[in-house]
Amino acid sequence: MGLRAALSRLAAAAPVPVFLAPGAGGRSPAQRLRLSPYLEVVDSPRRATVMLVVGAVAAGAAEELHRVHDQLPHPRAVLWWDMETGATAPPPLPTAERVVGDEAAVVGAVVAAHRGLLSAGRPSSPPLLADVEPNDWRGVGPFGQGGKGMTGGTPYGRPLPTRAPDRDGLELDQLVLTLGPWLPMLPAGLVVEVKLQGDVVQEVTLAPSPGLVPGAAPADVFERARVEPVPIAELELARARHHLLWAGEVLVLLGLVAESRRVLRAAVAVVPGAAAAELAHAARTAGALASARRLRHPMARVGLVGADRLGEVAGPTARASGVVTDARTDDPAYRSLGFEAVTEEAGDALARWRVRLGEAVRSLELAAEAGDRLTSVDCTPEGPRGPWRAGGPSPSTALAHLAPGLLVGLEWGDAVVALASLDLEPAELAADAARPAEST
Amino acid sequence: MTRTLAGDVVFAAAGIGSVLSAWRVFRTDSMVRAAYWLLASFVGVGIILVLLSASFLGLVLMLMMAGEMTIMAVFMVMFMMNPAGLNPMTMVHQRRSATTAGVVSFLALAGVGLVAHFPDRPVSPDARPTAELGQELLGDSMLVFETAGVTLLATMIGSIALATHKGRFGDAQSSSLPPPVDPAEPVAAEGAAEPPESDPHAGMDHR
Amino acid sequence: MIGSVVALLVLLAAGVVATALIDSAVGAVVGGEPVGRALKGPFTRSALLAVQGRTTTERPDAGTWRLAPALLGGLAAVGAAAVPLGRGLAAGDVPDGIVLFGVAMALVMVAVFLHGWSPNSPFPLFGAYRFAALALSYEMPLALVLIGTALPAQSLSVGDIVSSQAGLWNVVRQPLGLPLFLVAVAGLAFWGPLNVADAPDLVGGTAAESSGPALLAWRAARSAVLVAAAAMAAAAFLGGWNGPLLPGPVWMAVKTMGIVALVVTSGHRIPRVRLERFVVVAWVVLIPLALLDVFAAGIVAL
Repeated sequence: MGLRAALSRLAAAAPVPVFLAPGAGGRSPAQRLRLSPYLEVVDSPRRATVMLVVGAVAAGAAEELHRVHDQLPHPRAVLWWDMETGATAPPPLPTAERVVGDEAAVVGAVVAAHRGLLSAGRPSSPPLLADVEPNDWRGVGPFGQGGKGMTGGTPYGRPLPTRAPDRDGLELDQLVLTLGPWLPMLPAGLVVEVKLQGDVVQEVTLAPSPGLVPGAAPADVFERARVEPVPIAELELARARHHLLWAGEVLVLLGLVAESRRVLRAAVAVVPGAAAAELAHAARTAGALASARRLRHPMARVGLVGADRLGEVAGPTARASGVVTDARTDDPAYRSLGFEAVTEEAGDALARWRVRLGEAVRSLELAAEAGDRLTSVDCTPEGPRGPWRAGGPSPSTALAHLAPGLLVGLEWGDAVVALASLDLEPAELAADAARPAEST
Repeated sequence: MTRTLAGDVVFAAAGIGSVLSAWRVFRTDSMVRAAYWLLASFVGVGIILVLLSASFLGLVLMLMMAGEMTIMAVFMVMFMMNPAGLNPMTMVHQRRSATTAGVVSFLALAGVGLVAHFPDRPVSPDARPTAELGQELLGDSMLVFETAGVTLLATMIGSIALATHKGRFGDAQSSSLPPPVDPAEPVAAEGAAEPPESDPHAGMDHR
Repeated sequence: MIGSVVALLVLLAAGVVATALIDSAVGAVVGGEPVGRALKGPFTRSALLAVQGRTTTERPDAGTWRLAPALLGGLAAVGAAAVPLGRGLAAGDVPDGIVLFGVAMALVMVAVFLHGWSPNSPFPLFGAYRFAALALSYEMPLALVLIGTALPAQSLSVGDIVSSQAGLWNVVRQPLGLPLFLVAVAGLAFWGPLNVADAPDLVGGTAAESSGPALLAWRAARSAVLVAAAAMAAAAFLGGWNGPLLPGPVWMAVKTMGIVALVVTSGHRIPRVRLERFVVVAWVVLIPLALLDVFAAGIVAL
């Protein structure tokens, strides 16, 4: 008992392994939590002591929330960071402890919950789902396993996979998985139904999680730019920050977790009014990442998008396929700054990486040069994923149409990188789905 | 190697263990488990060989079987009609004749073991069994044999190189029948191998 | 006999702790964080894993799931036993030392495959299959370059191989050997760029469903494999206990941890390989290079 108590005391001092379930408006606050020295954001709920719901999650995702919750080992706790966006109900988690306030308050609450679990007798959160078999199988079949013969029945409660021809014309089993909405290698809030043969993707459907509530997140500078003039400096800093945060996410997928924290730290420092040294550091970071030779091979020729397959897609993804399209070139304020779009020819994940990081560097320069210039309100603003005019469909919807065809035929590791390289935002998909269907 | 109590205990454990795990091969209901029970049985045999001072043979047996059994498990899962091996399946066919053959061969081999005259002179400690084994097996034809071995390996590597999509007839993806392996590549007209498109990342050579 | 086994296990455990500390320190430097605080991480995290509860999946193969970490750790110990720390200081300096090492490292594939197959869950299974493909690719270069070091020594014993390097280390004599072996070391411990089995794109791959003490055991066993393979690299290519001034075992420890640091640093700097391309490179580039290494070593030995 003495050993266990000593271990518990030591464990209470550990960085808290926390599994994040970001809801509406929770994606970028969740990113910032990665930088806290008191937390360790883990990629599997099997490793966490605390599950943290960031932002609003509607009742539509109750089952998924419960599933994730029950995968945490005991002792466990679940917390909800209420962003206080108003009109949002608490997430459908009966044992969730509500936390309000800023990042420091949330980190404090998470650490307190962790220490309470390990040393102060805080009760572990009980399971939310009943431990039941997905199908009735016991006692059926010759071994009581639920099926007969080679391929019959639902052995042990799971139906056997169906078969389909693979890319080489062989008949192989298909594994159908529903992944998300909080699988760390997919954009938070995205539900992906994928058919796999081996780990080669055969078919993909993407949908936003039903737990995403449109309009629950506060409007960012890009949304404001649709309806009112905003300072170019602020807009461009937000763009640089967005691209750097995105690069941090991609680095995790490439296995460079420590480096991604360095990039995240550079990214969150990019705010209006930041010191010039901070901005210069961010620009150097982005420039070095864009040209890093060691990062080429996992992304080169992955997720090729020819200019002819772009469809409605604009923004960085189109510019990476050699299409010179940037809504900023129409804006007289940008033209007066001598703005030119950053483009690449290759159309692969590496080209998208270089375009985004090249744009981050360019944005930081623009922000420094822009002074107090404002955007023109009669021009469509160029968001970080492409132009999005008020009332129109979001850039993510066009990307979501492009993505399934892009992923088919890729191995899982490449498919994940290809999907991340598109920078889909599930909240935008949810917002489009919620709009009255006047244009499809 | 002189006989010790510890050696005897390990010998008995390895012998009984390998027979038991060999029996489990036929009693389990999953192909992966069957393959690894068989591996466990071979490891037992390898340990016995090591104890009999044929350490090289014993270790090489284990070395070979480790990879082989994994490949066997993967191939069995791939080729069997039972997808993913989820439905329990019996690992035996023609039960009656198989049992008879098994019992007869076990008795025959056990009989040989009991009847045969084994040499009982102790091996001198400075014997070099590995070198002697090599001489015994190959003798003067070592060079010929090694050359053939390396040639076979080169043939294997060559056939793999040919089988990859960057084979000798150019990039397989640019002319394979639909659906193309890489969805970004347009399906080429039949029989017409497209020239490889120029690589935008000059210097990178892949796909 | 028992004393040397205990010494081996203690040294291996020390190597595992040192590996965790190096990994934390390099991670902190790369991530731009204070190193001092990061050095506490391995201890507090391990304590937390030790007190966390077990979890299970739907119908796992519980027996092999528990067995896999123990098997991996045991194989690391067997592999390390073949490597002498100083002249005559090996727990198992058998005449066929490099074959014994080869056996242990070949069986690593079985341990990793079982660890991914047992939980009955897709991502661990992907990790298991990926590792099988990886292992089949690095094993040939591994075996060939080790045979290359045995040729000048005219012996399969690791002690003799180290003794044969008293004048000139194999890293100079066989320049292809160490780089190829380092690739195999990273592959064996599925570390850094070759971490395809427990990769972040599979939320931890074979360990995705593991938690608590089982995860701690798995991570420790994996580090032990890295240490054992690095010790073999130090013995076979860097002259083992040979070195001026310091006693032999200290040189061995320094060289081993140097190799570990190299592999760990590569993990923080080089992105994960694309497995399909790595397999092609292994078979059409690395194996021919390893053959070249053996031929050159054989010609020199003649």
